[in-house]
Amino acid sequence: MIEVKNLVRMFQSGERTIKPVNNVSFELAQGTFASIVGKSGSGKSTLLSLLGALDKPTSGDVVVDGVSLAGMPDGKLTEYRRRDIGFVFQQFNLIPNLTALDNVMLPMEFAGVRRSIRTQRAKELLEQVQLDVDRHDRRINRLSGGEQQRVAIARALANEPKLILADEPTGNLDEQTGGHIIELLNSLRREHNTTILVVTHDRSLANKTDRRFRLQQGRLTEETAPKQTQGTAAAGTAAVAAAATVG
Amino acid sequence: MSVLARSVGNAFRNKIRTTAVVAVLAVAIGLALAMLVANQAVTAKVTELNASVGTTLTVNPAGGQGFEGGGEPLTVQQAATAAQVPNVTEVVGTKALRLRNATEMAAQGAGGAGGFGGQATTTMTTSLTPAVDAGTLGNRNQETGTTGSQPARTFSLPITATGTGAEVDSTGKALDITEGSGLGDYTAASKSALLGTTLAEKNSLKVGSTFTINDQTFTVAGLFDAGTAFGNNAVYLTLTEAQTLAALPGELSTMIVTVNSMENVDAAKTALQTALGTDKADVTQGQRNLETAVSSLDSVKNISLIAFVAALGTAGLIILLIMVMLVRERRKEIGVLKAIGAPNRTIGLQFVLEALVLVTLGSAVGAAVASFASGSIATALIGSSTTTTAAPGVRRATGGFPGGDPLGGANQLLTSVTASASPGVIAAGIAAVFGVAIIGALVPALLTARIRPIEVLRGE
Ligand SMILES: Nc1ncnc2c1ncn2[C@@H]1O[C@H](COP(=O)(O)OP(=O)(O)OP(=O)(O)O)[C@@H](O)[C@H]1O
Ligand SMILES: [Mg+2]
Repeated sequence: MIEVKNLVRMFQSGERTIKPVNNVSFELAQGTFASIVGKSGSGKSTLLSLLGALDKPTSGDVVVDGVSLAGMPDGKLTEYRRRDIGFVFQQFNLIPNLTALDNVMLPMEFAGVRRSIRTQRAKELLEQVQLDVDRHDRRINRLSGGEQQRVAIARALANEPKLILADEPTGNLDEQTGGHIIELLNSLRREHNTTILVVTHDRSLANKTDRRFRLQQGRLTEETAPKQTQGTAAAGTAAVAAAATVG
Repeated sequence: MSVLARSVGNAFRNKIRTTAVVAVLAVAIGLALAMLVANQAVTAKVTELNASVGTTLTVNPAGGQGFEGGGEPLTVQQAATAAQVPNVTEVVGTKALRLRNATEMAAQGAGGAGGFGGQATTTMTTSLTPAVDAGTLGNRNQETGTTGSQPARTFSLPITATGTGAEVDSTGKALDITEGSGLGDYTAASKSALLGTTLAEKNSLKVGSTFTINDQTFTVAGLFDAGTAFGNNAVYLTLTEAQTLAALPGELSTMIVTVNSMENVDAAKTALQTALGTDKADVTQGQRNLETAVSSLDSVKNISLIAFVAALGTAGLIILLIMVMLVRERRKEIGVLKAIGAPNRTIGLQFVLEALVLVTLGSAVGAAVASFASGSIATALIGSSTTTTAAPGVRRATGGFPGGDPLGGANQLLTSVTASASPGVIAAGIAAVFGVAIIGALVPALLTARIRPIEVLRGE
């Protein structure tokens, strides 16, 4: 269960202040697969980094299972990121001189998982994201963008997090591989009751999620079109928005 | 992959940079070590010089020195007086005799050796041929007042036979006996003698051979090496034997007085002069030129110590800057580690280990460089700052390797370094270098880790 309360993030850009996240509130029940869409520069990544405790809000709070992130000391926030969050960065942010396998093993090393188990699990995860076995021991800077993206996803799943925050996880993937990744995330939600929040420009991905949000000028609105009927999705977008944006 | 493996891997990530870092570190650390070696070499030399001349005083009859000059000769009674002076630990009397080759004397006629100064120096005949040529310049010793009366005369220097009360040379330094043995009791009459190596060679004499002084037969008990051609053209007898030969018992040419420590030399000199009387004896301090050598060596010693500290400081500064740069360059990596849940201590540890790998490599290469370089550095330092008297000491201090013997070099480095600084000081120095490296890596890494990951990830 994640509750977002009146979240504001302000940036000072020269004379102007910009608010990519301006008074955003919503709740996600455990095991929800949700998506956020929005124009480039609308503040999606900014919102996601606030939820992932990578950034601190100007005001407002994020409450995870009843615990507020706002009052948490630095060490606890690190532990939260390590244990509860799987973050897929828009720019992947992998360690370039380590192999794919080592990158996936890193979060488990920090969590104190035994070496043999780490290796085993990292291999499984890389297979799950369909990275060819001969790429496992290749260094990140020798992998293609799509390959790197899948390593980043595998790394996010390493510590079996309760919440996966993925910033355009299929942006560099072909349709088929992208579809497989969505399927993988969906199975996690089903089998481990993982909450998943993805930022995407991919309509087909968004349409497969339980809940769809749109971020516009710092404001979050929810689309209520039924997810099965893809044809009416666009029409439903503008219709009802207020449900989850109280406050 | 463990933190350690990652750190080692990172240390070699940029090979060119790693090589450059190790090379610069090696030079700084090598220089520091070499300075320590130089310091030790000079210290050893200073100690040696101080030990040899620093605490000896020479007493000559007033107005005379060696065979020249006038005044009353010194006596055994005066030696006893000198021994009573505070801080004097030993008084060695000597009696110098002048020996001339018997055949040469006969050829020149009885008066040939006359005309020396007023002091009662006894000239005697010997079977020995001097090992030193007089040379062709000038008319040495104003041999004859006449012009051209003996144009093709063969002439050679006299040989000095010194009766000594102990196994020391005229400067109070222990005789370096290279073959045979000493004369045992130097205060007893004895028909044994010590010969300089070149003199023995010239006369084809060995230990056990015999020669004559004033038609009395002496046996060669041992050979000594004074280090100079002139010094080796000499004979040492026991003091009593020399006095007997000269028929002047109780008379001394010089006294060599040893003072218990360097600090007391000046006081003892004044006291000795007073006790013996200025009109009776001249007290001089060893060889003054050595004193200046010691003082210039002292300055070299100080310079090498300053250079050591400076080199060590430089090494520290280099490490500090390199580490700060290295961590700054990898800000983003720190951000990623932090974002995926690495605790600050893990991040700190990773960079500290990386720093230690670099410093250890640098130190190892530096020590190797120092092993090769320290010998020549020490030689160059001492060689350029002292007179020829320093030569034997240098040989000893540096072990005589101009960079050709790595194993000996390492040994030499180890002994020199441990000799010039206590293990505690060395440990502190090493700890300082490593400490600087640790701080240089840890502080910027932790400062970066404290920033919100998103800011670090976004970069500057
Ligand atoms: N540190 C910052 N300082 C100033 N402005 C910032 C900062 N970070 C983000 N912004 C601004 O906030 C806005 C939202 O950025 P954000 O990265 O969240 O967009 P986005 O929705 O993820 O866009 P995209 O779809 O292109 O990834 C942008 O206009 C950006 O310029
Ligand atoms: Mg973005």
